[in-house]
Amino acid sequence: MNGETAILGIETSCDETAAAVLTGGDTVLSSVVSSQVDLHARYGGVVPEIASRAHTGLITPVIAQALVEAGRRGPDLSAIAATYGPGLVGSLLVGVSAAKALALTWGVPFIGVNHLEGHLYAGLLEEPDLEFPLIVLLVSGGHTMLVEMQGHGRYRLIGQTVDDAAGEAFDKVARYLDLGYPGGPIIDELATQGDPTSITFPRPMLNDGYDFSFSGLKTAVITYVRSNPDVSAEDVAASFQAAVVDVLLTKAQRAAEEVGATAICLAGGVAANSELRERTLDLALTTGFRAYVPSRSMCTDNAAMIAAAAHWRMQSDGPSKLDLGANPGLRLPFVNA
Amino acid sequence: MLILGIESATKQVGCAIGGHEGVLASTHSARGRRHAESLTPQIEFTLGQARITIDEISVVAVDVGPGLYTGLRVGLATAMATAFGLSVPMIGVNSLDLVAFPLRHTRRLIAAAIDARRGELFTAFYRQVPGGLQRVGEPAVMTPDDLYANLQATGTECLVVGDGALRYRDQLDGMTKVEIADESLAYPSASSLVALAHARALREEFVQPGEIAPMYLRRPDAEANWQSRPI
Ligand SMILES: [Zn+2]
Repeated sequence: MNGETAILGIETSCDETAAAVLTGGDTVLSSVVSSQVDLHARYGGVVPEIASRAHTGLITPVIAQALVEAGRRGPDLSAIAATYGPGLVGSLLVGVSAAKALALTWGVPFIGVNHLEGHLYAGLLEEPDLEFPLIVLLVSGGHTMLVEMQGHGRYRLIGQTVDDAAGEAFDKVARYLDLGYPGGPIIDELATQGDPTSITFPRPMLNDGYDFSFSGLKTAVITYVRSNPDVSAEDVAASFQAAVVDVLLTKAQRAAEEVGATAICLAGGVAANSELRERTLDLALTTGFRAYVPSRSMCTDNAAMIAAAAHWRMQSDGPSKLDLGANPGLRLPFVNA
Repeated sequence: MLILGIESATKQVGCAIGGHEGVLASTHSARGRRHAESLTPQIEFTLGQARITIDEISVVAVDVGPGLYTGLRVGLATAMATAFGLSVPMIGVNSLDLVAFPLRHTRRLIAAAIDARRGELFTAFYRQVPGGLQRVGEPAVMTPDDLYANLQATGTECLVVGDGALRYRDQLDGMTKVEIADESLAYPSASSLVALAHARALREEFVQPGEIAPMYLRRPDAEANWQSRPI
């Protein structure tokens, strides 16, 4: 083992069953993600009971595959980490229960990980020389927040959505336009064929603090399509996406300037969006900031990021107790200044 | 051969360890913390009570339901991971067989009835055969009225057992040939699980962790909730 930590991470907070083995905090030996997206597509969203059942069937095969690909034996691991919140309670419980059982069985420590902390560490995992303070734009189906990462485990909340998450807005617009599910990748694809300047959708709260609001934008899109039924879906997708990205990046840039951040880093499932990725990289060319755009598979839910967050949590807090349960409403532990 | 039995498909959480010598140790918590919090520490404690280490376990048995979904999955995930971690086989036993098991000495027809919430019951019928109980028909979901009608139709002496029988006691109490089993037998026990699994283990009726099939008996009620939600 060369004295190097090897952590098995487990992630089951939503509709991906994932396991990964990470050594030394930044070397991914394996990362297995089994997506249930097809199971949920016909319902236009994640159905909690279907997700929980699927996780139950997939959890041991996915863990087994992650260990085999990593070439590691369970008892030789340094720790087993699992997401314990936030997320769907039934889904979370499957991963937490399996992780605790394995920890007991192999006699290794268990670490409960905050899913959002996992997303924050995804960028650092791929780019370990990123320096603090770092502005992380965490955008997913459930969350939209601007976080100043001051150091390991030290986060300040700069702004967050006051209504829908960015990913939720993508899903809802896609559903209204009858494009299917999940909305993010579909709108992303459609937008490449459309003109982002063809329709001027509002940029909610653009110059107003650091919070976000996407509910009004979603309503504006619906109202526009209702009164212009012949509009091209491509143009709507491109214009809607441009509005979302404008708001996200304007605020991220302003936050980076305010705190004197070294870099802006994307995180979360919406960070897989092409327009957001390109415009973030453009930002680095026109401003003094570094921009870090993790690979798409590191932005969407995965277990490598959970193991990475666990690596730092283990050093600061030590292991969790075996009576830890799931906490569907878990928040990030923010500092005030 | 030592069997670890994990039972968390109802309101209770249970864990037992046993083998040829019977049950060596068992714990159950009826009013403990929630299943996920209780189960792993309870396994650790039961191992200590039995004075064995976890790698002496050679089979993991689990209640596969029907029961309350959340508790059931906590039990399944825990049991499957334990079996996988130890590289040992598993035995799945359904919860209705478990609540009927302690009544195996009665000559009456046995109706196992587990509370399925939403005004329904998970049920199965059993009768005595040489060496144990035989299930009559398949486990099913039914309303208390359906159960009443089924019991009426048999026309024979019947013992009803399970937390479902207790919950709908008022509807069943008036029936002449029907008796409700004692409250102490209302929940599936981990000790029964180990005893039943031991008999199956002798016949080598093992499955691998990936082959354990949960018995939900109800489809996820998805369509209704999702098609009608607002944009
Ligand atoms: Zn996520």
